[in-house]
Amino acid sequence: MISRFRWALIAGTVSLAGCGEMFDPGPLEYVDSPSLQTELKDKPTMQAAVRKALGNLFGPEPREIHVPVGSGLPMGGARLASHRHFDDGAKPQAFHVAVGSSTSTPGTIPIRGGFALYREHCLHCHGVSGAGDGPTAPFLYPRPRDYRKGIFKFTSTNTGQKPTRSDLEKTIRYGLHGTSMPAFDAMLTEREFQQVIDYVIFLSLRGETELALIGEAGIADEKDPNALSDEVSGEILRAVANKWKSADSQVMNPPIPKPESTPESIQRGKELFLGLNKTGNKVDCTSCHGPQALGNGPSFISQDVFNYVVFGGDPSTRGERLDAEAERIARKRFEMANHGSAHEPTADELKPLLAQIKKQWEDSLDDWKEPLRPANLNRGVYKGGRRPIDIYWRVAKGINGAKMPAHVPTLEPEKVWDVVNFVLALPYEPKLLEGATLPAAPPTSAPKVAQPKYDLSNTTLLADSPPPADPKAGNTK
Amino acid sequence: MRYWSILFALAAVFSIGAFVYAPFSPDWWLPNSANEPYHAVSKFGREIDSLFLIILWITGIVFIGTQIALVWVSWKYIDKPGSVATYFHGSQRLEVIWTIIPAAILVFIALYQMGTWAEIKFRSSAPKVLPLAEVTARQFQWVIRYAGPDGKLHTTDDLHLVNDLHFVKSAEKLEKPALIWLQSGDVLHSFFLPQLRIKQDAVPGLKIPVWFDCDRAGQYELLCAELCGWGHYKMRSKVTVHENQADFDEWMQRKLSEQNQSQIAAVAQGGK
Ligand SMILES: [Cu+2]
Repeated sequence: MISRFRWALIAGTVSLAGCGEMFDPGPLEYVDSPSLQTELKDKPTMQAAVRKALGNLFGPEPREIHVPVGSGLPMGGARLASHRHFDDGAKPQAFHVAVGSSTSTPGTIPIRGGFALYREHCLHCHGVSGAGDGPTAPFLYPRPRDYRKGIFKFTSTNTGQKPTRSDLEKTIRYGLHGTSMPAFDAMLTEREFQQVIDYVIFLSLRGETELALIGEAGIADEKDPNALSDEVSGEILRAVANKWKSADSQVMNPPIPKPESTPESIQRGKELFLGLNKTGNKVDCTSCHGPQALGNGPSFISQDVFNYVVFGGDPSTRGERLDAEAERIARKRFEMANHGSAHEPTADELKPLLAQIKKQWEDSLDDWKEPLRPANLNRGVYKGGRRPIDIYWRVAKGINGAKMPAHVPTLEPEKVWDVVNFVLALPYEPKLLEGATLPAAPPTSAPKVAQPKYDLSNTTLLADSPPPADPKAGNTK
Repeated sequence: MRYWSILFALAAVFSIGAFVYAPFSPDWWLPNSANEPYHAVSKFGREIDSLFLIILWITGIVFIGTQIALVWVSWKYIDKPGSVATYFHGSQRLEVIWTIIPAAILVFIALYQMGTWAEIKFRSSAPKVLPLAEVTARQFQWVIRYAGPDGKLHTTDDLHLVNDLHFVKSAEKLEKPALIWLQSGDVLHSFFLPQLRIKQDAVPGLKIPVWFDCDRAGQYELLCAELCGWGHYKMRSKVTVHENQADFDEWMQRKLSEQNQSQIAAVAQGGK
């Protein structure tokens, strides 16, 4: 098996070398969490201890999978890979799922296993460790999910909770519309979906356990040999696994079904969206989504700066583009504030302006430090799904890891449904938000960023306007 | 070495043998459904298959003729010790003949296929039916927006699905094909229904009508036939042809009620 693979590799290398371009998918090994270096900078022993504990729990490399006891994976993780062998009592707390070799296996089970499927379909974006760092990842916006934080955006469970297996299945089966996550519905069998889900949860467990181990090692004494003993690391793993186990009990079910989408309900939703409701709590949608719901509210860095920085060139030089752009905007603001005073701003004068712009950029990043965009609600593209229940979840409990906050209990369920009716109606009634403005005194809103002169709005994947209506079809119903 | 000509003859025999064998093996022959390997399930498919067969016969006969001539010449006029080559300017008559015959064959094929091409590709022959759906090819999936019960696209009752194409078999639609509008969200893709012999590029910036029919209810495939990036192979969609309109409507109602879901039926049942 291995030798056949090696031959294919050699043949591939030779044929690709002929093309003058070599595609290197990178080594098949786990990458360390960046916080291993940052958090445990002066603790080499602890760094080694974290690696060792993690290797014991989950296996030292992707081709040797250990399924720790208490992982909560169905069938004890048997679906992770096709070749299994059990520990012969030496280490009763774990069994191994060995992959990539057919030797020393008491029997193979006729499945490909989550690892093989993941490697074929997912790895090139999500990476070997599930870090969202596969070879195709830098070309994508939004970036592929890094599972290692254990945060998943589109869930049916309460704010901050883990997704259920069915949530993950829905994402894999139908994709995330508006992102690069494709639908695998027609590619995999029922059984294979479960295998891939197991493997994704395995990687997420591993990543989150790694972070927790680093946290534990951070407070431990560098010289303490038992800081990350088997008991301690097992305890840490079980704490992470328990969050996954409780997901099913955390599903949020709207207490009332969606009421009819009447003009009154849509109108109430619109008032809530614009913060114009006379009664009840107010929510602040426009500061992010903008008064026309174009996703251009003042709390976020402006669309063209975003486009320039994110799409304006090589992803690895984003920081340089941001610096250049911030400098340019700061100078412009200085000029505007000083009414064309002839003198050039000094570094000290620019500093606070630059800091302000950088702060706004920082505020526009998600938990993975990736730039975010509020949804343009006019497009009718909903990443987390278009069912009313999906949009209810997004509004009611927010989006994990992103800037969308939870709105329950601030809003009562019937009000959330009004907002849902409004959001679902908007792509079909483009005049709904015509002339709407930001609330008179936007709470703590940053000054609007000056607009650069170039227009890069066509660099987004799909046009920002709703799709052109079929000439034969009426636009509203 | 006169025996080289035998090697050439063997190569020709092998090629011809492959073509003679192909129709007897469903795997080698045209992409038809497994239980009816010799029945193309669409009207366009049968027309295209007959064109394919005509061209296969023409090229087959020409191939056999030229191979026989080549092998015979290389056998007969093998270099012999002491033989002297003769030089001559050429035969105009021969050249005219071997130009006119292939040209005539090409003109025949060009004229003969025109009707089928026009029927499948000309916008003027698009069926006068309500569109079934708008299909957007994007890296790397088929985003399908069905017109919904009102038959109009871009209305609130549209059904949104991914990689799941459904329509009704043609006998139930007065032999009228199903019509979709094809567009691309990013790069070039190609909408390929192998069993229905339909292939149409999705071109960024264009909305292209595509129509197709099928006379057997069942499961087929929709593939992308234009290498569009690393995930090209993922652009594979299920195609379901329904026995009758009622079946299709029932399916659409079911999908629409899924799309309109606003509560979990039974929360307690949870995961699997
Ligand atoms: Cu494609």
